[in-house]
Amino acid sequence: MFTNTGGCSISTANCNVTAQREASSLKPLRAGIGLRAEHYLDVIEQRPPVGWLEVHSENYFGAGGRPLHYLDRIRADYPVSLHGVGLSLGSTDPLSETHLRNLKALVQRCEPMLISEHLAWASVAGRHFNDLLPLPYHAEALQHMVERIGQVQDYLQRPILIENLSSYLEYSASDIPEWEFLTELAKRSGCGILLDVNNVYVSARNHGFDAQDYLRGVAPHLVGEIHLAGHTVKTFADGELLIDTHDQRVSAAVWSLYRDAARRFVNVPVLIEWDAQLPALEVLVNEAQQAQTILSETDAHVA
Amino acid sequence: MPTLRELQLDFAAQVYDNEARGVDTRLRANGLTGARRLQVYRNNHVSSLTEALRAVYPVLHRLVGEEFFAHLATHYVRAHPSRCGDLHEFGAQAPELVAAFPGLEALPYVRDVASLEWSYHEVFHAAEHAPLDVARLASIAPPRYGELKFSMHPASRLLESRYPVLRIWMANQPDDGGDGVVDLHSGGNRLLVIRRALEVEFELLDRGDHAFLSALRAGKDFTTASDAASAVQSDFDVGAALRDFVARQVVVDFAL
Repeated sequence: MFTNTGGCSISTANCNVTAQREASSLKPLRAGIGLRAEHYLDVIEQRPPVGWLEVHSENYFGAGGRPLHYLDRIRADYPVSLHGVGLSLGSTDPLSETHLRNLKALVQRCEPMLISEHLAWASVAGRHFNDLLPLPYHAEALQHMVERIGQVQDYLQRPILIENLSSYLEYSASDIPEWEFLTELAKRSGCGILLDVNNVYVSARNHGFDAQDYLRGVAPHLVGEIHLAGHTVKTFADGELLIDTHDQRVSAAVWSLYRDAARRFVNVPVLIEWDAQLPALEVLVNEAQQAQTILSETDAHVA
Repeated sequence: MPTLRELQLDFAAQVYDNEARGVDTRLRANGLTGARRLQVYRNNHVSSLTEALRAVYPVLHRLVGEEFFAHLATHYVRAHPSRCGDLHEFGAQAPELVAAFPGLEALPYVRDVASLEWSYHEVFHAAEHAPLDVARLASIAPPRYGELKFSMHPASRLLESRYPVLRIWMANQPDDGGDGVVDLHSGGNRLLVIRRALEVEFELLDRGDHAFLSALRAGKDFTTASDAASAVQSDFDVGAALRDFVARQVVVDFAL
């Protein structure tokens, strides 16, 4: 296996192919995995062949101890991205100054390759629901989100990425498709898009739109990161919903959609997310290697 | 059309407080009913915050069982809603909740066990601190020693219980090989919960040490803390105790 000192290595799956190419064509791995506490020691000991790691920002808002210790050690070996799940960007409450201060301190500490938040709200009137709640997609919400993202980017002095979420309802008041809302948001606020392909698939199935329309509706230059994860189908008496559970492998349908996405959003860093019923690190790395293979093939095809 | 603010207030009231605000009728009709769709968010809220409580209170979970813990957590989420996008502070009121929770009368020690788990959680995430600057302490004129206010390591907490909470905690660890039997009348505990390197540790304190550290924690000066310790333990050697606490980084700073 080829390994350079930057924490990037060529996965075993690509070894033969890559070995036949010029050394100058070696590229850093673009597929990463979500880092969870259960895997700290495995990552440090095994140095898995992934290009980068992503953490949930809020898990590192504590003052000290094990989480920050391991984040520092792992950051020494890998690029890290910060993925926020609790900022409540879309809320009509004021942004939490404490939250922003904690986030900025973490950004300064680990110099992340990317910082992302969600197209969602999570709190109102001082109560926090610690969930990712959908917004209506209309002019008022768009203006609100543009202002809020502006506040965050001004505060952090860096652009951020905004991720589409899995949703289980649509508001009648929405008059813009989600992909247009995201695109307009990116153009007006200067943020990038974190395109979660699993969430596109889940929401497309839940709401009956065409996932291909979503991909075609997002301009390639706006997408700075892609997420992949597993979902669960939940059946009710009056129908079914796909739920974004992050507790299993990426589904075949989502892999297929990712192949399409990788052709359109070329060589964009891609991440495997897994949060519940966490398997051994090898399983995540294996999923990341599958993503890397698809990404490398589409990249080579375009080149 | 409601404003975004109105929508969010209505959504919160309907989903999390079960008030009829008509949000279900403001959703696009598409297969499943609006009520069903809102229920997904209602369930997700309770289950994710229950999971957060379970992560902080594994021993409490084991003592009361899965079903009762879920009941407790549902009640907790209503009584003490989360106020923050990060969950480090969420769960702080569990000891007071279980202290008077219907159905837990037969487990009088659960409040103290929950306090121990919350202390563990706080200590786990607390800040680092350098050892006490002994040279700086040596520069203080001896007549002023009594006025010194010493402070404990940020990653340390004190706990006192009339029950053997440490034994209860240990007997309910996943890797405990014992028979799980704890004699509730085997005496109470005075505990120091402290993080050393990355590990949270428990130390049993005698009466004098506990009184001394409790006084420091309450912001008392050295003389007052010494008197408090001597009052409960006549042979308390305050000089030796302070040297020991400084050496073991229990006491890490002082102010005059």
